[in-house]
This record gives sequence, C-alpha cells and structure tokens, in this order.
Amino acid sequence: MADPRPAAPRPRWLGPSAGVRVGATDFFAAQRANRRRTLVLLVVLTLIAAGLGYLLGWFMEADGRLPSRPGNGAFSIGGVLTALAIGAVSIGWSAISLAWGGRMVLAMTGGHEVAKADEPQLVNVVEEMAIAAGQKMPRVFVIEDAAMNAFATGTTSGNAAIGVTRGLLNGLNREELQGVIGHEMGHIANLDTRYMTVVGVTVGLVALVSDMILRVMKWGPGRSSSRDRGGSGSGGAGGGGLALILMVVLVVAAVVAPLAAKLVQFAVSRQREYLADATAVQFTRNAAGLISALQKLTAAAQPFAGASRATQHLFIVNPLRQFGSKASALMATHPATEDRIARLQALGRL
Amino acid sequence: MGMGGWIVLGVVVLVILWAIAAYNGMVSRRNQMQNAWSQIDVQLKRRHDLIPNLVQVVKDAMAYEQETLKAVIEARNRAVAANGPAEASAAEGALSEATGRLFMLMENYPTLKANDNVMQLQEELTATENKISFARQFYNDSVMALNNAIQSFPGNLIAGSFGFTIGQFFNVPETEKAVPQVKLR
Repeated sequence: MADPRPAAPRPRWLGPSAGVRVGATDFFAAQRANRRRTLVLLVVLTLIAAGLGYLLGWFMEADGRLPSRPGNGAFSIGGVLTALAIGAVSIGWSAISLAWGGRMVLAMTGGHEVAKADEPQLVNVVEEMAIAAGQKMPRVFVIEDAAMNAFATGTTSGNAAIGVTRGLLNGLNREELQGVIGHEMGHIANLDTRYMTVVGVTVGLVALVSDMILRVMKWGPGRSSSRDRGGSGSGGAGGGGLALILMVVLVVAAVVAPLAAKLVQFAVSRQREYLADATAVQFTRNAAGLISALQKLTAAAQPFAGASRATQHLFIVNPLRQFGSKASALMATHPATEDRIARLQALGRL
Repeated sequence: MGMGGWIVLGVVVLVILWAIAAYNGMVSRRNQMQNAWSQIDVQLKRRHDLIPNLVQVVKDAMAYEQETLKAVIEARNRAVAANGPAEASAAEGALSEATGRLFMLMENYPTLKANDNVMQLQEELTATENKISFARQFYNDSVMALNNAIQSFPGNLIAGSFGFTIGQFFNVPETEKAVPQVKLR
C-alpha cells in the first residue's frame, strides 16, 4: 500500500545535489511507514512465539508434566515460564548467530575481496554511498558470476560488507551501480542483517518447538496424567479434561504457527527491501538509477548459483526465483520488481 | 517529607535527567556535524590535488583551450585559499563549473577519451565530485538535526545556557546547477 499521506514539499535544507531532480519526494515518510510496518510484524512474530510457548506450558501443566499446578481460568504459570524460556533461548541463539553470521555469509556466497586498485569505480561508488550514509567504509567483494546481483551483510557498521557479481559490474553504468550500492548501503544503515537474523532465529525456534510438540503428541495425551496420582490434589479428572482440550488446540497451533511465522518473516523481508529502496533514494537523491538497474536485473533474470535459501533475503533481487509479479506472493523474500519500481517512481516523481 | 514533597522532588529529578539527555544530544549532534565537515574537507583537498594532475595530462593535447585550463587552475587556487563554509561554498561552486566546462571540451578530443591515464583521472574526479556532494548532503542533514535541537522548545533553553550555536549550511551557488552532468559510460 502506498502511503496515503500527501508528499511534503521538498525542504530547503536538502540543497540541490549533483544535478539530481528529486521533486516532491518524501523518502523520509516512506522510511517511517516501512519501519512502522516492520515493528508491527515483529510484534506479531513475538506473539506467535510467545503464544505457542504459553500453550505448550499450559498444556504440560494441565497434563501434569510440570511441577506447577494449573491456576484458575486461562492463567498458567507454566505457560508464562515456557514462553519466557523460549524468549531467552531466542535471545541467546540470536546473539550467537549475530556473532558468527557475517563470516558465514561471505564464505557461502564465494566472493573475493577487492581493493581500490582492482576495481576503482566500484570501490569509489561504495565510498560515495558510505559518505552519503555517514557509515564506515564497508569491505567490498566481487563474485565471479555472470548473474546480476548484489548483497550486503554485517551486524554492526564495523563489520559490514557489500558484494556484487561480475555480471552486475559489466551490465550496469555508473549511475545504476550507484543505485544498487545505495540500496545495499541502505540495508547496512537500517541494520537489516540484524533484523533478519533475529527474525530468522525466532522463526526457526517456532518451527523447532512445533516439531517437538507434534513428536510428543504422537505418544498420545495424558501419558503422565494416566500415571496414578493417587487422586490427591486438584489435578485429577478436571485437569485431564482441560489437558485434552488444550492438546487439540496445541496440535492445531503447532501446525499453524510455523507457517504463520514464516509468512511474517517473508513480510518483514519485503518491507526491508522497500525500506532499502527508499533509503537508496535518500542517499543518491536519484531514483532513476535504481529504477533502471532493477529493470536490467529483472530482464537479465538468471538464478545466481552462490545463493541459497539461507542467504536469499540478502540480495537486491531474489537470486533463486523469477522476480515477476508471481513474486508478490506471500512466500517471497522480495516484492515484485514492478511494485518496487512503481514505489520508486512515486518517490522520484520521474 | 509529605506526598507533595516527593512529587516536587520527582519532577526536579526528571527535569535534570531531561536536561542531561538534551545536552548530550546536542553535543553528539555538534560532533557529528564537525565530523561531516571534516569529511567534506578531505574530499575537497583530494579534488584540489587531482585537478593539477588532470590539467598536466591534457594540456598538450588541448593546446587551443589554454583559456579554459587557466580558468580551471585559477578556480582551483581560489578554492584552496577559501576559508570556512560560506567562502568555500562559493569557491568550490566556481571550481565545479570550471572543471565541468573542461570535461565538456574534452569530449571533443577522442585521443584523450581513449587515454587510460585520462580516463582514470576523470573517474577519480567524478567520484570526488560525488563524494563532495554526498558529504555536503550528510553535513547539511547533520546541521539541520543540530539546529532543530537547538532552536525548538524546550531544547533552546539548554542551548542558550550552554552556548550552543546553530550550524551553517553548505549551500551551493546557483551557477553550479547549470553544470552538465559528466557521464563516463
């Protein structure tokens, strides 16, 4: 959805920049809208993970697998504790992934680092965008592959890297290359690697917990509740009935939650792509270069062998599938290129 | 101390915390602005160093364009001598105009366009011009962030008592906008 608010007049402090028309652009408003949508999606994802943990804890408590006793109504201490435990594991796992992820990505895509002497124009353009973003100069990589693609990675501004394929370098002119690098620098400035790592870990954890639930359920309900508890205490038959209802709910949740989490992950990824596009225009003050680059990348669409499901969201266009309108489906890491171009045109009023 | 006393104390503590945060925010914005300015400075110096090299390389081939070459060197020398954002803006604008005219004339010399050395220098100058304009853009954004913090209420109270002054925008003179873009490819 386009932002319904009218574009603000171009503020005077922008100053004219390098012969670039910007018109009545408001990339700052576009960025705010994207950040708001990311936040909503992150809240939804957290609710999915926490809800699944809560259900699991509640069920285990009602089923007598946890030492705590079921409370009144829907409040369950076991549920809260399980949800918190999932949260803790998610944070720890994210921290580990953030510490190691960057190096793995670079190894997986198979690029080699270049210096200014090897690729003066590429390194110059990256430096230009780093200046525009107020970021440290990232490391620059070239992947010797005819496919046209580019990626950015790095969890802090200190360990950031940008990689482009040889096909991209050969196929784009300076202005288009600047648009692509601006997009990648946008990912770095917006901390997208961090976002997607945390989101990926949470989605993985939801899948893991759901999988565990379904495995445990194969043993059937009340494995422990059928154990004679001597009729003592309040657990008893009422607890067993609750356990049965909760079990059904839990199984349904265990099937639905991973799917829902995955959809949220893709939605976050698409929002971050739009955000990086808008940020690229903020840096270059030139939507035309990126538009033209996206058109060329789409026209040349050939899959890039160095990418995998684990790294596909890092690239400027999805390296694994066609980027036509089919890509606007819910299960895509990238919005359809036509949609991205339409938004860029609205930004640039070109 | 009664209820009212605690409330007053709480408000005072909050105000002090806010004042500290506002002061630190202004300091970091001022530092960012100064850092951004030094970034422009680095790129301007780079351009001042590159231009004599380019003139040196093309001057034999462009023997009939002595006027343009002289104008470039003079504009460059004035830019080197400029002091502070306001003066530098004007001098750098004139220099951009002069080099833009030189690039345009160079289009008429196919031997120059085929010369690796010239192409390399031209890419460097184009990149440096871009870096200057991007650094200027980031500098102006930083100035605006600082000025907003200083001039808006109630931050202006803090700014007034600690002597924060508003930053100066790096404006581009009108003439620079008329310069045609140099396309390398």
